[in-house]
Amino acid sequence: MQERILEIKDLFFSFDTYAGEVQAVRGVSLHVNKGETLAIVGESGCGKSVTIQNVMKLIPSPPGRLKSGKIFYCGEDITNYTPKQMQKLRGKEMSMIFQDPMTSLNPTMRIGRQIAEGILKHEKISQAEARDRAVQMLGKVGISNPEKSYRRYPHQFSGGMRQRVMIAMALVCNPKILFADEPTTALDVTTQAQILELINQLKEEFGTSVVIVTHDLGVVARTAERIAVMYAGKVVETGIARDIFYNPKHPYTSGLLESMPSSGKSSKTLTSIPGTPPDLFSPPKGCSFAPRCKYCMKICQEMMPDLIEVENQHSVSCWLMHPQAPKYELPGRKSRFTQNLKEGI
Amino acid sequence: MSNMQIELPKDAFSRVNTSSKESELITRPSITFWADARRRLMKNKVAMFGLAIIIIITMLAIFVPVFSEYTYTKQDLTNTNAPPSREHPFGTDSHGRDLWVRVWVGARVSLAVGIFGSIIPSLIGIVIGGISGYFGGKVDMIIMRFIDIVMCVPNMIYIILITIYIGTGPVALVVAFALTGWMGTARSVRGMILQLKEQEFVLASRTLGASPANLIFQHLIPNTLGIVVVSMTMGVPSAIFQEAFLSFIGLGIQPPIPSWGQLANLGISVFRIYPSQLLIPAALISVTMLSFNLFGDGLRDALDPKLRM
Amino acid sequence: MVKYIFKRLIISIVTIWLLATISFFLLRALPGNPFQTEKLMTVEMQERMMAYYGLDRPLIEQYFTYMKNLLHGNMGYSLKYTNRTVNSIIASTFPVSAELGLRALAVALPIGLALGVASARKRGKAIDYICVVVAVIGVSIPSFIMGSFLQYVFAIKLKILPVSQWETTAHTVLPTVALALSLMATLTRVMRASMLEVVMQDYIKTARAKGLSEGRIVWSHQIRNALIPVLTMLGPMVTSVLMGTFVIEKIFAIPGLGQHFVNSITGLDYTMTMGLTIFYGTFMVFANFLVDIAYGIVDPRIRITK
Repeated sequence: MQERILEIKDLFFSFDTYAGEVQAVRGVSLHVNKGETLAIVGESGCGKSVTIQNVMKLIPSPPGRLKSGKIFYCGEDITNYTPKQMQKLRGKEMSMIFQDPMTSLNPTMRIGRQIAEGILKHEKISQAEARDRAVQMLGKVGISNPEKSYRRYPHQFSGGMRQRVMIAMALVCNPKILFADEPTTALDVTTQAQILELINQLKEEFGTSVVIVTHDLGVVARTAERIAVMYAGKVVETGIARDIFYNPKHPYTSGLLESMPSSGKSSKTLTSIPGTPPDLFSPPKGCSFAPRCKYCMKICQEMMPDLIEVENQHSVSCWLMHPQAPKYELPGRKSRFTQNLKEGI
Repeated sequence: MSNMQIELPKDAFSRVNTSSKESELITRPSITFWADARRRLMKNKVAMFGLAIIIIITMLAIFVPVFSEYTYTKQDLTNTNAPPSREHPFGTDSHGRDLWVRVWVGARVSLAVGIFGSIIPSLIGIVIGGISGYFGGKVDMIIMRFIDIVMCVPNMIYIILITIYIGTGPVALVVAFALTGWMGTARSVRGMILQLKEQEFVLASRTLGASPANLIFQHLIPNTLGIVVVSMTMGVPSAIFQEAFLSFIGLGIQPPIPSWGQLANLGISVFRIYPSQLLIPAALISVTMLSFNLFGDGLRDALDPKLRM
Repeated sequence: MVKYIFKRLIISIVTIWLLATISFFLLRALPGNPFQTEKLMTVEMQERMMAYYGLDRPLIEQYFTYMKNLLHGNMGYSLKYTNRTVNSIIASTFPVSAELGLRALAVALPIGLALGVASARKRGKAIDYICVVVAVIGVSIPSFIMGSFLQYVFAIKLKILPVSQWETTAHTVLPTVALALSLMATLTRVMRASMLEVVMQDYIKTARAKGLSEGRIVWSHQIRNALIPVLTMLGPMVTSVLMGTFVIEKIFAIPGLGQHFVNSITGLDYTMTMGLTIFYGTFMVFANFLVDIAYGIVDPRIRITK
């Protein structure tokens, strides 16, 4: 068995609002192996960002509240780490890049200093050495003229360049895990590809594990080795990328794949999954996808299906997996897209 | 044990037709912006406390003079500078006038000047700021430069100038406030309109052929209303303060009509001997301003969309 | 940069010229004349005085004379203080007001900002409530009430500080405190709101994700960005405080500039009012210019590049 860098066990996380409790994450279990890329996929509001931000304890409390569950980092239980202990982990052992590079950098501080202050926090080195490391890192993420850029302010860079700065900042202390929270959503398409390429390349170079959170299956195809599909605060299907793409077992995953526009000629219309995700103020007692599911059965509305392993590393939470349930062949990904996926891995 | 291994009755696996309509029902009761803001305002104890004080003071201002046997001008020279007593809860002044009645008649004047002196300039500011922001270009430049120039000098100078010109009294004060107080609101409304103008929903209705007036009144102003309402509320204490200040230095409300500032002005001359004659109107001014500020703070928090959850 | 300063200078001069012109004609539109209020003067004497000061000339001619003198920095004779120029009155009273203002700012600025930061950091805790309550009370008590109250308690009842006048350091304590309290309250409120706004920004989360300590985040990321809105209000605030506050100067019998603002207008002392308006306006323009430069230092996004 591979070494597990991170393991999340049965995480429940809620937000306490005036109107009541929003159950953002309802029993999520995940793990990340050393050196791999895990993609967490799902519609907005499905709890994917909350899950990873909770690992780094970046969600202010209140309103956020960890109800139950355990988080292990390199085998150590970090669930009840104090803020002081977390500070030692953040940036050094695990770091994060965010969705909007326009607002994620401090507008009034030179980018070089923003990178260097992370190094100075975690390593006992001089200002000058930290500076050199930061310049070097800027070069590595593909910022031209790093010496000069060190002294620049965020507003002097484009969105893509700022995201590179964010990556430099996140990787400068050589963390074991990089969380990327929708790292390309705010960028335009050509820049997206470059940023993903950069993440892949640095991941190889530094041996970092990457957890990428996205709603874009194109991003997943380019980067992920394993995928976890989330819906309404739960993981509904997880497995290695190839299995998820070609052999989805959950109707939601299948629907997501079908709704993905392909560059092949065959598709003339865009398919979509009708309906909207349930409100997490009062999640349904049965399967939360049931109201939108083509294959919905009586049991689906009554009871939540457990997540079970159906084949090697491939787990699904769906009543169709029950031995008594009718069997369907769910459509997965075909054609042109296959090539992208192969390149990605 | 996983529930996947439980033996289930056969009909558990019968197909169910789901209509997507049903799934789109939003289970959370949908709350409009204003209803939500009101709910949060009601939950804010401090703001409600402020509102309660404002209501009590307003009620006293309305009813005390109606039901009192004294009037604000009735003198009793045999009983001057009396301390608070059963007969005269706040005592009497140097002319033997009942201060209890005078304070509440003064409250009418101060509150009226405060409320109208805040609402009217804000309304003017919304219109001018809206025009400036919406039309932009030369109109905007002229209005903004004008405001820049006028704002180089403290408001008080213009207010004094205007009161010299049109005379003193509550109405004159409100007019003076209206003529000088709109600029701050105009500036901030213009700023907001400039931002809103760029947003898609405005672009959309413009493409659909909405007229400028329609755009300003249907889209732009409603979206700035929250902030304007807050600034109106916050404007009340500052108008009360300005009235009190002007009357205190003898330029605002003129005797025999009382206002809180004017009562404080009369009180300060006998302050060292009869401190209550200053302390009572001073306390009322402060408490009223405090209540409006507390209520305004609560209103601002309630209307702040960022705090909506 | 030089070009920018030059441009600003031109705009400032035009602003002050327009201000002077508007005030000039606005003042003259007022009914009555400066000598009317002095009861001992007969109409004939009033006319002689008007002629003496050149006030009987056509208005437009007076305007050009005034502007010509103003260009030489000469703001004319006061119509009320016999044989005193406006320049000399400002020169003798402004330092007093400015000293009081600077003392008040020196107290209010550091304490106000510190309380704002402390309050925002401990949001919802006891310290926050205390700061918020004190600040809202501070902005709700008018200066004339606060001044009278302090005078009554500390000078008249407790007799530990002088009642009024402006002589020793002890004399400055009460007016400084009276003035500083409301400034401090305003600064606390603005700084607190600004800190709470900044703490919700994404870059604070980024800083936290880097593993920085809370103290470090507050110090090097939060405060600097939170100061930007405070700076905006500092120009007008500093100007109005240094120019003297009528009420506090009146209550404590301080020979400052503030009294002249009110007295000159009510007395229709045209030249004095004009002089004060122009002095105030120039000071404000200059203060705003300094604030803009400070802005550029704090916020690189608006740094002057042209």
